[in-house]
Amino acid sequence: MKKRILFLLLLLSIFTIVGYFCKDNALVTDFAHKNMPPCLDYPFGTDWLGRNLFFRTLRGISISILIGTISASISTIIAIFLGTISAFGNKNIDATITWLIDFIIGLPHILLLIVLSIVMGRDIKGAILGIALTHWTSLARLIRGELLQLKASTYIQVAEKLGKSKLYLFQNHMIPHVLPQCIIGWILLFPHTILHESSITFLGFGLKSNQPAIGTLLSESMQYLVTGRWWFAVFPGCMLVFIVLLFYYLGKCLQTYYEQKLGE
Amino acid sequence: MKKKRVIFLLILLFSLAGCKAEIKENVKDKDTVVVTMPVSSEPEAGFNPVYGWGAGEHTHEPLIQSTLFVTTNDLQIDYDLATDYSVSEDGMTWTVSIREDAFFTDGEKVTAEDVAFTYNTCKKNSSVNDFTMLHYTEAINEKTVVFHMTRPFSVWPYTMALVGIVPEHAYTPSYGEHPVGSGKYILKQWDKGQQIILEANEKYYGNVPKIKNVIVLFMEEEISLAAAQAGQADVSYTSATYADISVPNYELYSVVSLDNRGINLPAQPKEEKDGVLYGNDVTSDIAVRQAINLALNRESIISNILNSYASSAYSICDNTPWYQDAQVPYDLEQAKELLDNAGWIIGEDGIRSKNGIKATFSILYPPSDSIRQGIAEEFCNNMKEIGLEVIPECVGWDIAYDLAQSQPLVWGWGAHTPMELYNIYHSQNGKNARYSPYHNKAVDAYMDEALKSTNLEDSYSLWKKAQWDGTTGIIQDIPWVWICNVEHLYFVKQGLTIPEQKIHPHGHGWSLLNNIDTWTWK
Repeated sequence: MKKRILFLLLLLSIFTIVGYFCKDNALVTDFAHKNMPPCLDYPFGTDWLGRNLFFRTLRGISISILIGTISASISTIIAIFLGTISAFGNKNIDATITWLIDFIIGLPHILLLIVLSIVMGRDIKGAILGIALTHWTSLARLIRGELLQLKASTYIQVAEKLGKSKLYLFQNHMIPHVLPQCIIGWILLFPHTILHESSITFLGFGLKSNQPAIGTLLSESMQYLVTGRWWFAVFPGCMLVFIVLLFYYLGKCLQTYYEQKLGE
Repeated sequence: MKKKRVIFLLILLFSLAGCKAEIKENVKDKDTVVVTMPVSSEPEAGFNPVYGWGAGEHTHEPLIQSTLFVTTNDLQIDYDLATDYSVSEDGMTWTVSIREDAFFTDGEKVTAEDVAFTYNTCKKNSSVNDFTMLHYTEAINEKTVVFHMTRPFSVWPYTMALVGIVPEHAYTPSYGEHPVGSGKYILKQWDKGQQIILEANEKYYGNVPKIKNVIVLFMEEEISLAAAQAGQADVSYTSATYADISVPNYELYSVVSLDNRGINLPAQPKEEKDGVLYGNDVTSDIAVRQAINLALNRESIISNILNSYASSAYSICDNTPWYQDAQVPYDLEQAKELLDNAGWIIGEDGIRSKNGIKATFSILYPPSDSIRQGIAEEFCNNMKEIGLEVIPECVGWDIAYDLAQSQPLVWGWGAHTPMELYNIYHSQNGKNARYSPYHNKAVDAYMDEALKSTNLEDSYSLWKKAQWDGTTGIIQDIPWVWICNVEHLYFVKQGLTIPEQKIHPHGHGWSLLNNIDTWTWK
């Protein structure tokens, strides 16, 4: 299991790094080779400006992973912070935070994302913050639940009666228990963030059209599907699904790994 | 088994019925045309000339109403409702007499009172057209109307060719939805967001159109193509992107236009005013602007981006009576020489710089316009060859106007009036032009003089002089570079004849119907 996790991590980092080095190639226009179907020189074909879709897709994936990492991390931090306060705070604080969680879950994500992204200036920053501020809820709720359960469990109460400080309890009993949940939650946030980033970019609110994100590639391809240029959409779309599946699989593997460890 | 057979029979029956209906329609359709238009062509405020129908950014003949004058195919001025006009020596009063055989579709006669009412209402309410030069309008008798101006405005007939005359007696707040006019067509039905049905006006004072019904469908470009492929539209608008697709029974029809694409080059050094940046330190150098104009490979841009469905543009008003030849050859060597002489020296990275200023700037283009994006990309490639580093950037229209004051933007212009030159190049209050910083006193003076002229024909030569008088002018200053005039493309069903069209202005919509009265089915 450990090997599998390492392999997945390696694969994802390769995508990110390779994509980073495609940065300049992804923007080169070459009108002598426009609208080329996939061939050996251009494995994913070229678009209507003669840009190499292979490089653009890799670059798009790397941008997506980057945005995913940052926004999922911010989301997780928010979730841990609010989850903990909610579990240890007084009744009012708990009620407020629970209400906030319900409120945000109740709103359709995509609407909130569009509003936030416009407010933040329709840029990469807007997309990241928009995603980060909408995706922390379910993890926060999970952490709150876990901590409440722990607080009530016998061994913690015994430890408390033995005079251990709150900080000690938190460091030695609670964190080791909740941390795996956080990491798995963090990883499982990735597929969501990546898909949402692509969808708002597709709708024209996220990244700008001169940044080759997957959402941009897909929305650009719409116009040309009627003309039979399927490769504009198929390869970027498949890669997006592939990456999302990789992250999902990674999360699941981690989960199994921790559960096994806990079982031992 | 039996059930299946019944279903099969039913399907057969329905499909036969479908065939029959279609054939019937084809026979009936000889005096009807179905035209598709972009969604943006649906008039938001309805068919009210006061609120922009026919006028504004995308000008066209109002069809439902008639105008005092019309522009001819070569953009000269001709009469429509008017029969004669004169202008006073000082250019401050225009007297127009109107014909007496024109009637509104409700049977009332079109009088000078209606004309005066229309213009006074426009003056008071119009937000899309400039009427500040008009003081007031009065009818001195039933067939003569007098316009009192606030300043001389020689191109007034071009404005009069846009404003549809509305009836004073039938003008209500909901006029836009229930228009009454004296034009070639009557609005029969308007399903908002879908279609408009026009019916020929049998009492029209001119030639009654042969096409009795016009159905206008509003749809996106892809759907318009699908409509042609399904045979549901007689004229489907399209763009260079789809022009290479062959649609059976349809022919590609292309109309020359003034619909140009050009790039502004801010002609003053950078400064900040009220939180907005004006000017650009690179393009403020006249040598840089001239070099850009020379290094633009218009032909390759047109063949690469527009599949050759465009022609090279060198001014905002190519092929109009007020166009001064501004053609320049594509000459990289001369462009480089200009930059060298002006002190822009190539650095190690291949990018020029002068006195520590690097020759780098952005080029902006609006989102979801693949043509302008392509032009921006090719512009960057062209500029790289003479050592200028240009970075394409996509910005929405909400901020584009402010950003364009300091950075080049890919624009689209083109209208049937010399005022277009004034709007782009004339300074506002003696400072800078409206859309991009530029100020040349001589150019301003020629345009002011052109507006003061009392003879339209004479004023053309002054508009030309503003572009180039032998020593100075727009052609030398290059505050804008012009790239191409985009052809407007349509899939037209075989059998439908569309006679030669008046050169189209900016906007790919109603202009096509300008000469609908002369269309015929074979």
